[in-house]
Amino acid sequence: MNRILNWLRLRKLESELDRELKYHIDRRVSDLIRSGLPEFEARRRAALELGGVTQVREEVRDIWLTRWLRDFVYDLRFSARAFLRNPSFTATAVLSLALGIGATTALYSLIDQVVLRPLPVDHPERLVLIDWIGSQMAETLGTDNLMSYPICRDLQQQKEFFDGVFCRAATTINLSTSGEPRLTAAELVSGTYFSVLGVSPALGRLFTIDDDQAPGSSPVVVLSYDFWKNQFESAQDIVGRKVLVNQHAMTVVGVAEPTFHGIDVGEVPSLWIPAVMSAEAIPGFNTMLDRRTRWVQILGRLKQNVSLARTQTGLQPWFKAMLDEDTRRTDFSRVSAERRRQFLASTLGLTAAPQGHSILRHSLSRPLWVLFVATAVLLALACLNVAGLLLARGSARHRELSTRLALGASRGRIGRQLLADSVLLAFAGGLLGVVIAPVAVRALIAFLPRNTAATDLEANVDTRLLLFAFLVSMATGFLAGAAPALQARRESLVSSLRERAGTAFGGLSLRRAIMTAQIAFTLILVIAAGLFVRTLSGLLAKGPGFDTSSLISFGISPKRNGYSPADANRLIRRIHEEIRRSASTQISAIANFQLLLGGAWNNPLTIQGTERFTTDRDVHLNAVTPGFFATLGTRIVGGRDFDEHDSLPLNEGGQRVVIVNEAFVKRYFGGRNPLGAHVGMGSGLDVKPDTEIIGVVEDFSYRSVRERWEQAYFPIGAAYSGSNFYVRFRGTPESAYAAMRSVLRNADPTLPIAYSRTLDEQVNRSLNTERMLAALSSSFGTLALLLSLVGLYGVMSFVVTQRTREIGIRLALGATRLSTIWLVLRDALVMISAGTAIALPCVWALGRLVESQLYDVKPTDPVTILMATLILCSTALCAALIPAHRASAVNPNNALRSE
Amino acid sequence: MSSSRFPVPQGTLDMLILQILSLEPAHGYGIAQRLEQISKSVVQVNQGSLYPALHRLEQKGWLKTDWKQSETGREAKFYSLTRSGQNQLRVERHGWARLTGAVQLIFDEGSAQ
Repeated sequence: MNRILNWLRLRKLESELDRELKYHIDRRVSDLIRSGLPEFEARRRAALELGGVTQVREEVRDIWLTRWLRDFVYDLRFSARAFLRNPSFTATAVLSLALGIGATTALYSLIDQVVLRPLPVDHPERLVLIDWIGSQMAETLGTDNLMSYPICRDLQQQKEFFDGVFCRAATTINLSTSGEPRLTAAELVSGTYFSVLGVSPALGRLFTIDDDQAPGSSPVVVLSYDFWKNQFESAQDIVGRKVLVNQHAMTVVGVAEPTFHGIDVGEVPSLWIPAVMSAEAIPGFNTMLDRRTRWVQILGRLKQNVSLARTQTGLQPWFKAMLDEDTRRTDFSRVSAERRRQFLASTLGLTAAPQGHSILRHSLSRPLWVLFVATAVLLALACLNVAGLLLARGSARHRELSTRLALGASRGRIGRQLLADSVLLAFAGGLLGVVIAPVAVRALIAFLPRNTAATDLEANVDTRLLLFAFLVSMATGFLAGAAPALQARRESLVSSLRERAGTAFGGLSLRRAIMTAQIAFTLILVIAAGLFVRTLSGLLAKGPGFDTSSLISFGISPKRNGYSPADANRLIRRIHEEIRRSASTQISAIANFQLLLGGAWNNPLTIQGTERFTTDRDVHLNAVTPGFFATLGTRIVGGRDFDEHDSLPLNEGGQRVVIVNEAFVKRYFGGRNPLGAHVGMGSGLDVKPDTEIIGVVEDFSYRSVRERWEQAYFPIGAAYSGSNFYVRFRGTPESAYAAMRSVLRNADPTLPIAYSRTLDEQVNRSLNTERMLAALSSSFGTLALLLSLVGLYGVMSFVVTQRTREIGIRLALGATRLSTIWLVLRDALVMISAGTAIALPCVWALGRLVESQLYDVKPTDPVTILMATLILCSTALCAALIPAHRASAVNPNNALRSE
Repeated sequence: MSSSRFPVPQGTLDMLILQILSLEPAHGYGIAQRLEQISKSVVQVNQGSLYPALHRLEQKGWLKTDWKQSETGREAKFYSLTRSGQNQLRVERHGWARLTGAVQLIFDEGSAQ
């Protein structure tokens, strides 16, 4: 360590040494003069005694820097010269390392951003996510780890454990700053949010506990720094300006600090709104203070020296008391004993949340780790490949190395030279890799699911990433260089000098071992590629269960533009009529919830058939207009579709009806006719099953393509509304979009379109993760195959060259050409089968990592494994066949004469 | 230079430097002079190897250095022993005693015959 420091302060050390030596000489000279010598003679003597200032300086410098380090620099220079003389070798090695390092660095960059990086706040390690484990018996609004707002207030009183507690919910609002309203990502937060996180304002003030009072009492917003910069051009007078949130005026009170982008890397808010303004921010939401509505995530900051485990146990008494109290509340009176027991069995779960809370992380971390493992395997493969190349080069350089040994170089010294080779290669590869990485990251980000909210992911190379790439290159260099360096240590000098150039058997067993490992790694990657490709093609072949061609969907949200519910319904109805009348429309319908978005409206149903029972799991629910199933092109297999009557209010002749899907009938009616049976929403004893099942629709995908689930559909009308349009069009999608836009412009020019896309796009988007896994794993697999084929070819060619004489003798003694080919192929077969034998248990072990990412195929799927093994074996044998053929073509005369 | 003076045996220079510095801190020139004085000009130190030795000992953490005013008034680099330097001196002294003892024994053996 000291010595590395010395490198950095070399100049200072040198000037000190010069001063020290000058002092010595001056003193000596003056002493000598005093003893009677003339000055000239004295100076000469003094210098002579010291043995030359320059020499002393050299020697002292050696002590500072150690020979080791200085020699290593010379080694690097020597290696660089040697590599430049052999550009094709260098290019192959550097390129394979660059691919490996670049891919690994790119994946690491994403994992770092999505999974690992803590929030840029004070002591993020003390942040915890507080979650309800068990049945909350609550209405749900949102996804993942949801709690009710009153529980957050309760937790804020637990001062024994927490420095503070806050809650937050991501949402999208309709924001007008000056001109037209635009959909904008926002975060609803409690007044404690900023203070608990330790974020400070760049301008004005942030929310305080005073912004946490009565609902509707605090019409203020805080802007994110980026939004302020881009949208308001960093206006200094921003504080005090009014903005319209869903047509409600709110005052800007401050701007958050530049580095803070909210606590969700996948959904970066442009502004923050106090949770007490939730009724304004989420149209139709007015149950903020209800304990049976869960819609926020709650995070707390642990007190210093209070552990997570202690807090978890310490909070249980309070939590149990709250559960008890909840059951005594009136709205809990008519719950079945079973449900009550489930409710009371709930516990509170705390997890460390230094990275905040992110749904993106939840859904993406597994696929990202899978890919990271794959790139690590690829990198190891590249590493082995370079090791093999270096070994081959080592045998070519055999004479040179032997000569150096004979001239007195130590084995360690030669090993170091070889290590310098590989370290230099790795650094060149790493450098190129870092150049490739941002491009790869950008391509990866394009694969990720996106919604209106911007993600915070970037393709920048920062110091963390550089450090990572540096460490990986270092490790790669040492690993790739270890084999040749060890080999150099082991060789016997005498025997290698005695041998003729080029016949050294150096490192063959090592190269075989490396080749075997390469085959094993390759097989793992090829099998992974097979699994993911089969998953994707399985999902694509299955499809969503309806015809996606010539189908577009788009959405609006008039309530966010200030429409009352009744006005909004009238507007939607008018728009729908216009759309139907448009020449490009074949048929169209409206749904309450979008399809294939990964989410659904979930609730248990109570069924009254021959007996009364409750569904054992949530049913996926939606509300649709008549003709929705026809628009999708799905068939009604029993009963009828909704008609206009079903949409009427009950007192105007309407009736309560529901259509269920085949999966629902199969699970709850055992395939018997469900028509005429009744269902009710919810699971309580007081649920009245008064809604008649009037139809059965065939199964199609609602939440995601993967899923087969029980579904039930209610009519849009008196009870339910919706503003997601589905239109089957004639002609091109462009003309359909144009028609849609003109209809919307005529209806209300200020109304923003929340989204618009074809259903083909929607299916593609919902399969983004699967596509990313399939595309990347198959390119990794191909790359791996290529690398190991080249490697195998190299090793086998080497073997054949080595054994030319032996083969010549065999042929001369009467061996057939065929048996010669077999001789070589057998060698390759041993490596291939050994590699396969190593790979299969690894596949079995890694299977658990990928299992959740697969569809309709097991990680140990025999067909996939067999196919992959066949592909690998056949291509590998082809690669081995070329040298084998060359072996059989050996002319015995030449082979023997060449000796 | 008289031929009666013989060069310091290899490896003992470090020990001698440590010994001298255990008495009091000194600068390089001072050490050179003291080596000559103490050994009554019997031992000849090649001054060229003195400075590499000093820096080596410093690198090992046995010496620490200070720029201080010397007896002539000029600033000079003074070396002194660190705690681990003192330990090292003890170790080397012990080793030396054993070595010379052993050598003496061998000589005695030879003269007894």
